[in-house]
Amino acid sequence: MEAVTFPDEKVVAFMNERVISLRVAYNDKELAGRFNVKWTPTIVTLDGEGTEHHRTVGFLSSEEFIPSILLGMAKSAFDHEDYGLALEIAGELLRGYPSAAAAPEAIFLQGVCRYKKSGTPASLKEAYEMLSASYPQSEWTKRAYPYRLL
Amino acid sequence: MAMEKTVIWESVFDKALARAKNEKKFVVLDFFNPG
Repeated sequence: MEAVTFPDEKVVAFMNERVISLRVAYNDKELAGRFNVKWTPTIVTLDGEGTEHHRTVGFLSSEEFIPSILLGMAKSAFDHEDYGLALEIAGELLRGYPSAAAAPEAIFLQGVCRYKKSGTPASLKEAYEMLSASYPQSEWTKRAYPYRLL
Repeated sequence: MAMEKTVIWESVFDKALARAKNEKKFVVLDFFNPG
């Protein structure tokens, strides 16, 4: 991450413009304990209250890093029941990084957000259909499998 | 404003949270191995 991902100019711009970047050693007694960190790199997305909404463990390339953080931001918005913001961020992820590992979960999240906003089960079925068409091997396609019946 | 060439990292948790609230942003916390 240090040699490849963080020096990438797109990552630099994203980190400096879109989020607050906080770096802590893995053996920091207070924070590593609070977040139960056992391996590096561990990247955690937090809201302004310090609540965790998403984490990854292991190397992320620059192509995977930004969509992973966008997914964390969308999940945070979802957890705060701001479905409009979650949809906006998930849409940004899917438009910019459709091949990223985070993309299938973003589609799943979109389906759930649309259902939460509208109460229309078709939103969930549509998410499954998008997942099965574009990411048939994804674990998120499997998780959405029951929605095909809606 | 000139574009920074490196990520600007905070190192203090409470300061990062205060900035996140003030700037209405999320915090990305990187636990790294200083080697």
